[in-house]
Amino acid sequence: MNEQEKEEYLEEYAEEKKKGVDFFPDIIFKDTLVMLIVFLILFGLSAFEGAGLEEIADPTDDSYTPKPEWYFLFLFQLLKFFPGNIEVVGVIVLPTLAIAFLAALPWTDRSTRRHWSGRPLVTGVTAALFAGGVFLTVQALLEAPAPGGDAVTAQGDPVAELYSANCAGCHGTSVVANPGTDFYRVIAGGTHEGMPAFASDLTVEEIDSLVGFILVPRGNDTFAATCGDCHAVGDLVEIEPSELRDALALGADYSPHSGAGVPVWGEILSDDVQAQLLNFLSAPDGQRLWSQQCAACHGTSVAFEGGEAELRRVVIAGGSHLEMPSFREQLSDEEIAVLAGFVTGAEVGPEAAALWTASCFGCHGGRIPTATSHAAAVAAITTGGAHETMPVWGEVLTDEQLDSLVDYVVGVASGSGASGGKELYAQNCASCHGALGEGGPNPTRVGDIIAPISTAEYLETRDDRTLEAIIAQGQPNFGMSPFGSAFGGPLDNEQIDAIVAFMRAWEADPPVDLPPEVPDVPAATASGSEVFAQLCTQCHGVEGEGPIGPSLKDETWQASHTDEEIFDAINLGHSATPMIAWGEILSSAQIGELVSAIRDLGRPPPAGIPTFEANVLPIFERSCNLCHGTSGGWSGSTYSDTLLTGDPSPTIIPGDPLNSRLLQTLNGTHPQGVVMPPGSPLSDLDVETITNWIVGGAPEN
Amino acid sequence: MANRKETRSARVGDWVDERSGWRLAWSTVFIRKIPKVNWLYTLGSATLFVLVIQVVTGVLLTFYYVPEPAQAHASVRYITHELSFGWLIRGLHHFGASAMVILTIAHMLRVVLYGAYKYPREITWLTGVMLLLLVFSFGFTGYLLPWDQRAYWASVVGTQIAEVTPFIGSWLKTVMLGGEEISALTLPRFYGAHVWALPAILLSLVGIHLYLVVRNGITSIPKKDE
Repeated sequence: MNEQEKEEYLEEYAEEKKKGVDFFPDIIFKDTLVMLIVFLILFGLSAFEGAGLEEIADPTDDSYTPKPEWYFLFLFQLLKFFPGNIEVVGVIVLPTLAIAFLAALPWTDRSTRRHWSGRPLVTGVTAALFAGGVFLTVQALLEAPAPGGDAVTAQGDPVAELYSANCAGCHGTSVVANPGTDFYRVIAGGTHEGMPAFASDLTVEEIDSLVGFILVPRGNDTFAATCGDCHAVGDLVEIEPSELRDALALGADYSPHSGAGVPVWGEILSDDVQAQLLNFLSAPDGQRLWSQQCAACHGTSVAFEGGEAELRRVVIAGGSHLEMPSFREQLSDEEIAVLAGFVTGAEVGPEAAALWTASCFGCHGGRIPTATSHAAAVAAITTGGAHETMPVWGEVLTDEQLDSLVDYVVGVASGSGASGGKELYAQNCASCHGALGEGGPNPTRVGDIIAPISTAEYLETRDDRTLEAIIAQGQPNFGMSPFGSAFGGPLDNEQIDAIVAFMRAWEADPPVDLPPEVPDVPAATASGSEVFAQLCTQCHGVEGEGPIGPSLKDETWQASHTDEEIFDAINLGHSATPMIAWGEILSSAQIGELVSAIRDLGRPPPAGIPTFEANVLPIFERSCNLCHGTSGGWSGSTYSDTLLTGDPSPTIIPGDPLNSRLLQTLNGTHPQGVVMPPGSPLSDLDVETITNWIVGGAPEN
Repeated sequence: MANRKETRSARVGDWVDERSGWRLAWSTVFIRKIPKVNWLYTLGSATLFVLVIQVVTGVLLTFYYVPEPAQAHASVRYITHELSFGWLIRGLHHFGASAMVILTIAHMLRVVLYGAYKYPREITWLTGVMLLLLVFSFGFTGYLLPWDQRAYWASVVGTQIAEVTPFIGSWLKTVMLGGEEISALTLPRFYGAHVWALPAILLSLVGIHLYLVVRNGITSIPKKDE
């Protein structure tokens, strides 16, 4: 717009103004009317709708589906079109472009045209932006409350729809996860990072289908092309892998398929595609495979002590490795007959189930073995022996399934992968709960005893989620600080899982039944070294070498901490570590003594006979010479002063510690005067050094 | 009587005018002619009106609201359910936020439709775009304050989205949250932004915006050939 055009515009505008209306009161009246309407609408909404208030925020409730305010829904919805790495396009690039477009309008559109029809580009783009925003908002509202997504749409395919409705909204078109992730568990239970638990929204079959869908990318298509005509995925995911193998290999000879015109898929499909199909229906998710295939016989606790290769061999080979005891001695003939009836499916009374539970359930679990005849069952029960054979899993499971299963067992038994649960337990838990979970004195509450956490009763009544929550969030009422990183603690989710897995390994053979006899908390009269031996050694080691806490005898540690710092550390503790604020339990005097006891750790007693210059003088300078030597009386500043001054002198009789006045004063065995130094006696080590020096003849060098 | 009263009020008016020049200000703002306009031109003043509602109710809310995680929810519950007319104060503020968004956008659409961002009103338009962003920022920071489930989790998602910003994403998130997670540090931040920082910026920009509207006058409705 040049100067002339500007002038023209201003003239025209002045004309319009002249022909126009009065701002006050005409326009003000219209404005007021609209304001009144707006106010009435807002008032009505407040009165009849009301500003809602939900439950107080609960950061641990990750099953909550986040709902942004409606005017942010368009952004939320836009994100679903840009999953994964290109998220930044939806979040930053497009909104920034839109705002930049608006802000730059006066400079990009420099024509003099003002009517909308004269500016098709500007009105077009603005209309498109507005329509896009409205469209996205409406779409998001329609999809609510399920956080669905459009990233994956496969109409008619139930699993893909399931994925699209439940997972794609956050994960986009595919899920990237570390190998070895227990997918079933993650989906069912959620994660601490904010993924909700789906166990209450999805059936077991749906979760199983999803795991297969996620882990076996093309499995779903294969399924649709082969089994999909007759079966729904949800119907087949629960079927035993061996059945699936049979169905593929036998064709019409597989009895449920007889007469259905089912081809012999085993001959049509390549091995790879068959494996894909089997993996899809029974996903290579070790934890899930274990609970489906192994737990019935082996229980839920995975305790395996052996190498990966050995485990793999056993699983692949299967066979007889269970030794059942002979029950001839333990059960009466009638009882054996009842049990035999139970396992052969004969009509038996309710006592049969009770008997089964009492005698057999411990090993067999819920899986009741079947016997061909009553006689065979009686024989098996009376003679025992290896009659229950493990399936030859090598023929049933695919390579991927075997890998995941072996990885899971080895991982859990050794405490999950890289971060061993056992080590983590020892570092974080053992100081209060004991190395075997036997419990002990509660350091944070005087007189309280921590009950064992490794009893069968404790472990059976708490599921993994509960244990994880306890570790992550702590139990503030009982003095347990939170250990989860989300709550300010030192452990991440995997580490907590590893600790829980380690604890689960106790379940098969609980190491303790009752709380141990434990020493009381240190009496208020206990000396520093006694307190150290009772409390500090749990973490810092008997000599301060520190298996868990830092090494206290370490020279650099000793050099880099002043007495005040050590005192404070003991008094106030370190948050989020087992080092609690001992100031609540110990007196200041005890902590002071502890500091000197800890200082002793850094000064190991000299080998051989201590000498004045090397060992004794430093003690005097540190603890005595501030007062002695300047204010008369005995002086410890030089060798000769030490031996000759004092009243009565000498205070030291070489070779005779009992009669040396110096030691009597230090030990408090002299009838006169106070124990020196007043208020803060020398540490045991210092006294011992001086004693040894006198015993050894009090040499100068 | 009436006459004397008039004279007296006129005298007071004169006295004040002599010292403040209010008559000039009044006549500049109100006693002026503007081109013939339609109802769409009330959107701006409606937005201003809702802004006043937001300020008034917002100030009232701060009398009772406690920006501290342990008490925020309880104080909002108190305002909503127990305080006399608390439901109205909070209701107006809550729905007023939506009204702000709707009216601001509608107002801007009118401006684009009539080409009102052109000479001599470019700066008015620019401040308007900034005000739009501010309105959204108010919505985002205000959303967390009730500290209920909806507020908390929406803010979790919102700050995660902010983290996607290239280069400064994680820094931005840390600044917003005062750490890695929403915590006791986050709420005072959002509160401080919502009741101190953002209003200061917004009111300054609104001042400029209104000054320019009065100075340059409202656009006339463009004719087909314009």
